[in-house]
Amino acid sequence: MTATTAPEPVVVDELITETADRLFGELCTHEAVQAAEDSGGAPDIWEAFYETGFDLIAVPEDAGGSGGTLAEAIEVLRLVGYHSAPIPAAENGILGGWLLAEAGLERPDGLVTVVPPRATDGGWSGGGTCSASLNGDGTAVLSGEAHRVPWARSADVIVCVCECDGHSTVVSVPASECTITPLPNMAGEPRDTVSFDGATGRAAPAPDGVDAGTLAQRGALSRVALMAGAIEKMCQLTVSYTNERVQFGRPVARFQAVQQHLVWAAQDAALVRMAAEVAAREATRGDAPFEIAAAKLLANQAAARATKACHQAHGAMGMTQEYPLHHFSRRLWSWRKEYGSDAHWSAVLGDMATGVGADGLYPLITSGTAALA
Amino acid sequence: MRFTPTELTGPELDLQAEVREFLARELPPGTHEPCLGMAADHDREFSAKMAARGWVGMALPSRWGGSDRTAVQRFIVVEEMLRWGAPVGHHWVADRQTGNVILKFGTDEQRERFLPPICRGELGFSIGMSEPDSGSDLASVSTRAERADDGWVVNGTKIWTSNAHMNDWFICLLRTAPMEDGNKHAGLSQFLIDLSSPGLEISPIPFLDGSHHFNEVTFHDVFVPDINVVGQPGMGWHQNTTEMAYERGGPDRWLSPFSTVEQLLREAAGTPMEDAVSDLFGELAARWWGIRNLSLSVARLIDEGEAPSVESALVKEMGTRYEQEVVEKLVQLIDEEYSPESESLFERLLAQCVVTFPGNTIRGGTIEILRSVASKGLEGLPA
Repeated sequence: MTATTAPEPVVVDELITETADRLFGELCTHEAVQAAEDSGGAPDIWEAFYETGFDLIAVPEDAGGSGGTLAEAIEVLRLVGYHSAPIPAAENGILGGWLLAEAGLERPDGLVTVVPPRATDGGWSGGGTCSASLNGDGTAVLSGEAHRVPWARSADVIVCVCECDGHSTVVSVPASECTITPLPNMAGEPRDTVSFDGATGRAAPAPDGVDAGTLAQRGALSRVALMAGAIEKMCQLTVSYTNERVQFGRPVARFQAVQQHLVWAAQDAALVRMAAEVAAREATRGDAPFEIAAAKLLANQAAARATKACHQAHGAMGMTQEYPLHHFSRRLWSWRKEYGSDAHWSAVLGDMATGVGADGLYPLITSGTAALA
Repeated sequence: MRFTPTELTGPELDLQAEVREFLARELPPGTHEPCLGMAADHDREFSAKMAARGWVGMALPSRWGGSDRTAVQRFIVVEEMLRWGAPVGHHWVADRQTGNVILKFGTDEQRERFLPPICRGELGFSIGMSEPDSGSDLASVSTRAERADDGWVVNGTKIWTSNAHMNDWFICLLRTAPMEDGNKHAGLSQFLIDLSSPGLEISPIPFLDGSHHFNEVTFHDVFVPDINVVGQPGMGWHQNTTEMAYERGGPDRWLSPFSTVEQLLREAAGTPMEDAVSDLFGELAARWWGIRNLSLSVARLIDEGEAPSVESALVKEMGTRYEQEVVEKLVQLIDEEYSPESESLFERLLAQCVVTFPGNTIRGGTIEILRSVASKGLEGLPA
C-alpha cells in the first residue's frame, strides 16, 4: 500500500485572534453596538479596525491587501460575530476585496461593499435585479436595483458580479453615483436598496472560478464564521445568567429542565465553530463546495435551535433591549437568511450525496469535497 | 470546553483505506445483513479476523498483546466497522472499555491473564452496573460482596445485562462496605466475575421485539477470588466513572442508523428521486460531517493526554438524539408500511431502528444524566 500524504496544516496566527478579540472587546460594548444600530453605522469602530490592517486579510498585498490566509480572515469574522461588531468586515475584505483583486481592478480608497448574489433555482445570479452593459473601454453602465446591500449607505464603493455577454464581470461603482435607500435587517444592521440609474463603473472580466456561485460560497462561509462567534457568545451569556439568577432558592442552572437548554446551546456553539473552522481550512486549500454548504446548513439550523434555547433560559430578561442577548439572537436570525437558506443548501448537498451514490456516501462524510472528484 | 479541529494524518488515512479494503472483501455489500451500530451480532470468527489485523484492543500496549495504537486509530477502525454494519458485538465491550480499565487499575497478573486474550478477540465482557432499584442513581447499588477466605461472596441481582448469555466475563460494580452518610460513593468496588461461576444465574429479559439481549443476573453465594478484584476495594466509584468516560462520545453514539440511510440510497438508485428525498440525503451528510468532526476531535484530545469528559458527554447527548432524529426523518419520508420481515433490506432495517432506537438515549447513561454531567462543566466558561 502506498503511503498517503496528508495536506499541509492550515495555521491561524494566534496574534490575530488575540488582537481582534481585544480590539472588539474594548470597542463593541453593549452601548456602542446599540448606538450603531440607532444611527446606522459605527465609523469609529470601523476606523479602529481599519488601522489594524485586519480589514484586508486574505487580500493579496500586490492588490492593496494585507496578505494572510482566508482561514485568518475567517477567524477575524468569527470575532466580529462574537462581539457583534457593527462593521461590514466580510464585504470589505474577503468578498469585495477578493472580487477586485481577482478581476485586477484597482482598489479605490474607502469602504467597499458587495451586492449579494440572489439564489435562483439551483444556482446564483450575480447582481440581484441589476444588470450591466460594457462600454468597451473598461467601464460599464449599471441599471436596475440591488437589494439588501450591507452598509451601502456608509460605503464608498459598491462591487457586483454581473453577466455581460455570457461572461461573469466584476463591476466597481462609486457609491456617490447611486441612489441608496436605507433598510435595516432584523438586527438593525444596514441592508440597503441601491438604485444604479445608469451609474458608470469600472469593469473587468472575472477569471475562472470567480462568479456569482463562488461569491455566494465565500459569502456563506463569512456568515458561518459570524454565526459561530454569535452562538458562542450567546451561549456564554446564558451559562452566566442562569448561574447567577436564583429562583426557588438556587441558581436556575441547577434545574434539569434549564440544563437541557444550556447543553443544547453549547452543542450548537461547538458544532458551528467546528464547521466554520473546518470549512475555512478546506477553503484556504482550494475549492470547498461540500464543506461550505454543510457548514452553512448546520449554522442555519443551529441558529434556530440555539436562539430558542438561550431565550427560553433567560426568561423575560432576554426580551429586553437593556440586556445584550438580542444583539446576538437578532443577528443570528438575520444571518441565517443570508447567502443561502436551509432549503438551498440542502438541495446543493442532496445533489452531491445522491451523485456519489451509496458506496460514496460515507467517504463524502469523511473526506468532503475531495470525495466528489 | 474547546473542540479543536483535527484531521487524519497520512498514516491514519492509510489505516482507513486498509479497513475499507478489509470490509469490502470480508463483507461485500449485499452479502450480509448490516447490524445497527454497536448492538451488533456476536461473531467470534469475525472478531478473530479483526484481531489478526491488530484491530481489537489496539490502543493497549504491545507488552500485553495490544498494538500501541492511538485513540484516533481506534476511532478510524470503529467508525468504519460501524458504518459498514459489521458484527463487532463479541469483542465490543472489552475493546471499548474493559481492557482500558484492567490496564489502568488492574494488577500485572490480571493484565497478563485478560489483556492478551482480549486482544485476540476471544473474550466477551458484560457490564454489571444497573440493579432493580439502581438505575441512573448508580451509587445506590446494593448487590454486595462480603469478605471470605481468599476472596469474596456475592449476593444480589444485576439487571439489563446485555449479552450475559453469550459472553465470558462480567465486570461488576458491587458494594463491599455499607453506604456512608454524606458519601454515597464510598464502599463500592469493581470485580471481574466468570459468567460460568457456580451460583450465578442468567435469565433472559426479552427485548420489546422478543429478541434476546437483556438479562437478569442473580448471584447466590457466588465466590470471587481476591485476584479478581480490580484496583483498590472501595475505589469502585472512581474507577467506574473513569470507565464511563471511555463509553462516551465515540462513533457508536452517532453512527447506528448509517447503514439504513446508505441502504435507502442503494435501493433508490436508478429511479427518479423526489427533491425531498435528495435534500434529506444532503442534510444527513452535512450533519454526520459536523458531528464526526466533533467526535474525532475528542479522540485527538485523549491522545494529547486530556480527559475531555464534558466534551464527550456533549457529543454523546447530541449524537444519540441525532440517531433518533434520522429515523424520524426517514419515517416521515416513506409512504409504505414496513415490517421487520419486509422484502426490502432498507425497510427491515428501518423497522428495526424504529423499534430499538428509543434505547439509544438510555444506554450507558441517560441523556438526562449526561446533561447534568455536561452542564456542570459549562459553568467555567468565560462570558
